[in-house]
Amino acid sequence: MKQLALFFGVFVAHTLVALPRNLVESTKSGTIINIIYVAIIAILISYLIYKLIKNFSGSDIIDISEYLGGKVFKTIIGIIFISYFSISSGILLRNFCECLKIVYYPMTSLVFIILAFIVTLYIVLKFNFSSISKVNLIIIPLVLISIVFLFVANLENFSISNMFPIFGDGLFDTFVTGLGNISAFGGIALLYFLPPYLQEPQKTKKVFLLSMLFGAIYLLLCVSIILFMLIFLMYTNEILPLYSAARYIEFGTFFQRLESIFLLIWILQVCCYLAIITKISISILKKVTNCKYEKPIILLFTLLIFAISFLPKNYAISKFIESSVNKYLSIGITIFLGLIILILANFKKRVKNKIERIS
Amino acid sequence: MKKFLKNIFIVILIIFFLIAFSSSYKSLSIDNLAIVVAMGIDISDNNAFKISFQFTTPSSVSESGTSEKAPSKIYSVDASSISSGINLMNSYVGKEINLSHCKLIAFSEEVAVKGISKEIYTLINDTQVRPSTNIVITKCSADYYLENSKPLFENLLTKYYEVFSNSSQFTGYSSNATIGNFFNSLICHSCQPYAILGGVTTADDENKSTSSSNESNQSTNAEKDSSAISNASPLSNISNSENIGLAVFNDDVLVGELNSIETLSFLIIKNNLDGFLISVPNPSKTNSYMDLYLTPVNSVQTKVEIVNGSPYITIDCNFTGRIYSMENDSEYLDPKLLEQISDSCNSYLKSVLTDYLYKTSKNLQADINGFGKLAHSHFATTSDFDNYKWNEKYKDAFFDVNVNSSIKSSFLLTES
Repeated sequence: MKQLALFFGVFVAHTLVALPRNLVESTKSGTIINIIYVAIIAILISYLIYKLIKNFSGSDIIDISEYLGGKVFKTIIGIIFISYFSISSGILLRNFCECLKIVYYPMTSLVFIILAFIVTLYIVLKFNFSSISKVNLIIIPLVLISIVFLFVANLENFSISNMFPIFGDGLFDTFVTGLGNISAFGGIALLYFLPPYLQEPQKTKKVFLLSMLFGAIYLLLCVSIILFMLIFLMYTNEILPLYSAARYIEFGTFFQRLESIFLLIWILQVCCYLAIITKISISILKKVTNCKYEKPIILLFTLLIFAISFLPKNYAISKFIESSVNKYLSIGITIFLGLIILILANFKKRVKNKIERIS
Repeated sequence: MKKFLKNIFIVILIIFFLIAFSSSYKSLSIDNLAIVVAMGIDISDNNAFKISFQFTTPSSVSESGTSEKAPSKIYSVDASSISSGINLMNSYVGKEINLSHCKLIAFSEEVAVKGISKEIYTLINDTQVRPSTNIVITKCSADYYLENSKPLFENLLTKYYEVFSNSSQFTGYSSNATIGNFFNSLICHSCQPYAILGGVTTADDENKSTSSSNESNQSTNAEKDSSAISNASPLSNISNSENIGLAVFNDDVLVGELNSIETLSFLIIKNNLDGFLISVPNPSKTNSYMDLYLTPVNSVQTKVEIVNGSPYITIDCNFTGRIYSMENDSEYLDPKLLEQISDSCNSYLKSVLTDYLYKTSKNLQADINGFGKLAHSHFATTSDFDNYKWNEKYKDAFFDVNVNSSIKSSFLLTES
């Protein structure tokens, strides 16, 4: 459960900012079919990762790259993954805080809002990974409940006909160009680092496949809310699309403005996401540099995320990085690089085994 | 020593964040805000718009515990846009105008015919404006409408603005129209926006309706009931705002209005009615009408097809009903009579619905029911649908309405 929650912790955070809207923007009314299509591919990829990684039980991608190409290669791969995690978390933090500033803290400087998260991150990182994953296990059900509630409470505002034409901008756009939406499953990156944390390695396959399956259902739920309800999001851009949907929830004249509760839960989730990603980045750096103590690295990483979140000059640039640059980074690093390393490492192992058998 | 320094650091950090976030807290503090409950937008002689803000002060509670009605104040300002109007009003009231409790935004008819997309986009862009805020198009000036918006049975004006549109659920004479839905329809390529039609009955209107009603017979009176509309409704002894009918838009421009029976038809097709009262021709007496209370049996089935390039829309409605009006010599246990009443109801409702649909299609050319969404499935791609230009083709639409009502009996009295 903890491992499943860890995967969700990373996966869910991106859906809270702009991911569902980006998906709907690229494949229009064909998004539902497209998500099912990319989910099937993501499940197949995760199965492939499982098949390839099970030959290196208890090892993560860093250990495997050391096996494949030695220490230099391990360092390069480590730096690539650290950069990817730091960029995606820094940009997500920036975009989330930009939205928070617009909605709730109009007079507070963005630096202070981001700093509040950074200080929290620094304090959280003092705890071990197990504690973080346990807290994440508490927050994740709340997030899932909030999304299911968002879906159910907005049912009366849904127009199911918005899912037609079922293939959106055409078969090519849905199935070929739309293949880029597999970046939504960027959480696959976490699968490469999960094996050392699995208490029951025999359940690796179950964890990998269930993560993807639940992830697909969750993503379908998020996209349905946007597609069925807020048709204007296909043509206009609105910050925090799920927050916009939450603003429509009203139960009579008594229960109104429930979006504040949603945002509170989502803030907690973003904190969990940052903690998980940074903890994994720290563990990569420890492996790459053979560093024994992680406490001095914590400050380094929190400052790194803080700095990255301020790299974009404005929201337009950070939004572009999140929707375009991060998308291709996610596909390139998570799917192609990770899989190539695993395939080559397996090939090397097989050749090695053959040579050993012959000799 | 290390622990002491750590504690000092924590205290400094807390003070630091308290100072950093206090500015946002201060700006949202109730002492610094002027809460607007409604906003009106009119054409101004001096500038582009005359923007009226309605404020309310908390109801005063006497020692005996009885509360008085909360008085409201309306201030207007001439400005080039909504945002500059808010800015000017900020400096006048000495507080920051806050729209987060604004329950109603009224545009005068004069403003609406010129197009209101810029204003709608601006309001939607404002984090304070709720998507559930009602949008009203007033047949009089918007500030006059706000002035006359006095709750009859409520103490709080805000409560009144929140619940006034609920009557549409059981009358069908008005509809809930929010700025969120208006914006959604404005951008949508397969539907058009609509708003509540508001007005104020003046003394002259009352006299007019009284004198004319004296001259007419029962059948024309029944028709009058169903053709009631804001600013010309048969309400008497009340000088208050009224919300009967709908304002229909083509894109962002007001193109027409629907009276009460047309609004009822709109709500029937939209599946947004719990039940409604309707006067149908009495089959046993010529030139006479009888009142029926109808409830939809299931949701209205709407089918859209594209025939020879034009939309062909089929609508099937099923109702169950009871006779509401009673008179001498009524025999509402006679199955034959009940069948005749059902037939009369069917043909009447069919003609009402067909008239409404052709009005939206031929006269107003605005698909406010969103039939276009149902046509999506006939197109292979989104761009095919966009190229078809549904909103332009809607004027060529033709309709087939089937009404099947089953009148059970009357209520307590079955025969007299």
